Amino acid sequence: MGTPIKDVSIPDNAPKELLLSKHADYIGAYGSKKDDYEYVMTEYLRMNGIYWGLTAMDLMDELKRMNKEEVLVFVKQCQHESGGISCSVGHDPHLLCTLSAIQILTLYDAQDTIDCDKVIKWVQSLQQDDGSFYGDKWGEVDTRFSFCAVACLSLLGKLDSINVDKAVEFVVSCMNFDGGFGCRPGSESHSGQIYCCVGMLAITGQLHHINADLLGWWLCERQLPSGGLNGRPEKLPDVCYSWWVLASLKIINRLQWIDKNKLIEFILASQDEETGGFADRPGDMVDPFHTLFGLAGLSLLGNTSIKPVNPVYCMPEDTIRRVGIQLDLL
Amino acid sequence: MHGRLKVRTTAEQQEAKRKEREKKQKIYTAATQRTFQKRENKEYDEEALKITGEILSVNPDFYSLWNFRKEIFLHFKDVKPTEELNKLFEEELYFLESCLKVNPKSYGTWHHRCFVMTTMPIPDWTRELQLCNKFLEYDERNFHCWDYRRFVVKTSNVPAKDEFDFTTAKIASNFSNYSSWHYRSKLLPQLYPDSHHSSGVQEDILLQEFETVQNAFFTDPNDQSSWFYHRWLLGRGCRKLDIDSVYISRHKSCILVTFTKTLLISRENSINLVINGKDVEGEWLNQKQQAKYSTFWISFCNNFWCSS
Repeated sequence: MGTPIKDVSIPDNAPKELLLSKHADYIGAYGSKKDDYEYVMTEYLRMNGIYWGLTAMDLMDELKRMNKEEVLVFVKQCQHESGGISCSVGHDPHLLCTLSAIQILTLYDAQDTIDCDKVIKWVQSLQQDDGSFYGDKWGEVDTRFSFCAVACLSLLGKLDSINVDKAVEFVVSCMNFDGGFGCRPGSESHSGQIYCCVGMLAITGQLHHINADLLGWWLCERQLPSGGLNGRPEKLPDVCYSWWVLASLKIINRLQWIDKNKLIEFILASQDEETGGFADRPGDMVDPFHTLFGLAGLSLLGNTSIKPVNPVYCMPEDTIRRVGIQLDLL
Repeated sequence: MHGRLKVRTTAEQQEAKRKEREKKQKIYTAATQRTFQKRENKEYDEEALKITGEILSVNPDFYSLWNFRKEIFLHFKDVKPTEELNKLFEEELYFLESCLKVNPKSYGTWHHRCFVMTTMPIPDWTRELQLCNKFLEYDERNFHCWDYRRFVVKTSNVPAKDEFDFTTAKIASNFSNYSSWHYRSKLLPQLYPDSHHSSGVQEDILLQEFETVQNAFFTDPNDQSSWFYHRWLLGRGCRKLDIDSVYISRHKSCILVTFTKTLLISRENSINLVINGKDVEGEWLNQKQQAKYSTFWISFCNNFWCSS
């Protein structure tokens, strides 16, 4: 017995054009309903949510519509005595929120809003003897955190404050028979983790560890007949996985291995014509997360009405250039 | 938000829904505020467990509340007698199981389970392996559960052979099980190591696996899992370092070498170049004129041809 291929079909009336102004309106209004149940329930993701929204707006060249002062005050309030940053006031510091916060401050060219030296010391303190990183003081280890740590430190210009060789060694130890990467040594390959590990190796200048042909084959096989990409074999396509896979292919110089037009069609069909925004797949509810990754994906696929996006940091290329980061992609 | 279908509703339905959500929001916000207050007052008690439990069962990704529960349990560890303590931890495992049934893919929930198992006085690891079996029956691709299983296996020293047999049974019930094929690729080099083979596994075992995987793709040739595994078995994934080609230009006084794998030629990791029996020294750079990892290397050297 096998598993039938899981895919979706794109309805004939699905959007075929990019609805930029609707997306800008959607993101612009997202934070205005602060008493909404959904909004309150997702407080544990607030810092990430602000990064998704602001980056989406910046890619559409609409960042000026957002309330910069309010955002900077919020980020400052979320820095803890330890140096780490939490997702919202009253929550605990975590690497996932800390990276988002640094990305937000970098977008606004306002890193000096918080005590960056303390952030650096805190990130440093999370590195373990085997090179891995805890996400916070409670000890969960994951290659996502290795990415967060080096992305964060490189944006702050302090990559050398950790043991980079050991950090790389740990990420490489998570490589699998299919050329991909998982959460920890022994874990199954997953597009999200692959993006983190490939990105981590790009930032540290160690992409030669990757078997680009082998990994490229696994990644391009994520494309389904609908044009969308899934995160692992035998899974449904999803706009956010389109980003993780696409960005990884770009970093290892294998973007031409997928059918770009089919993927563009799938991403465009995942827009909501009424509300603006992108959903995970056609016909579902939209959210800021998929809206950012939909836009970023279209940017990598060459849409010139969106700013060029950096495949490693998922931030506008002009921002990455401004902070002086130069990456050697394959 | 994943997989939430957009449904069209009437204005009346929308208003009813809005009222219901407003009510839920108020209850939720009150509970959250109460929790934060208790945490600030260091009230590590059963009431705190109760309220955080109610919130986490609807919102298991609220990571700070799992942290609060960890603080409570670490406090219990200091003040409660062993028997009572173990009972509280048992209840926590039961609560976690009910959370996992609702949301089996929450990182925070699985990590909290690891915390409980490594913190409680008398952990029952056999039962944990059975829990993994059960959850992998609901969803044989749940990577959180597979990872938790590997944690249980490592901590309680489950033999690799038992795990290998588990993957065999999983594959027998469904060939298209990428997670199981993946796990085999990790178990085989442990069980049947051979450092001479590129996969790190003994040849006769690889042939047996080849047979198994052939059955899989004969049955279902469109399934990707078996094809990826097949390629790995054939050892095509990994090449040994060797020279692929060499080109020498007398005209430009340079030598170009391509290798089967990327490498870094440097002072510490240099190349011996001998021309007409004479050692020749030269600087090596890659195609971007940099001393960085590449498969392509070039050296310009003026004294190559002096002796000829």
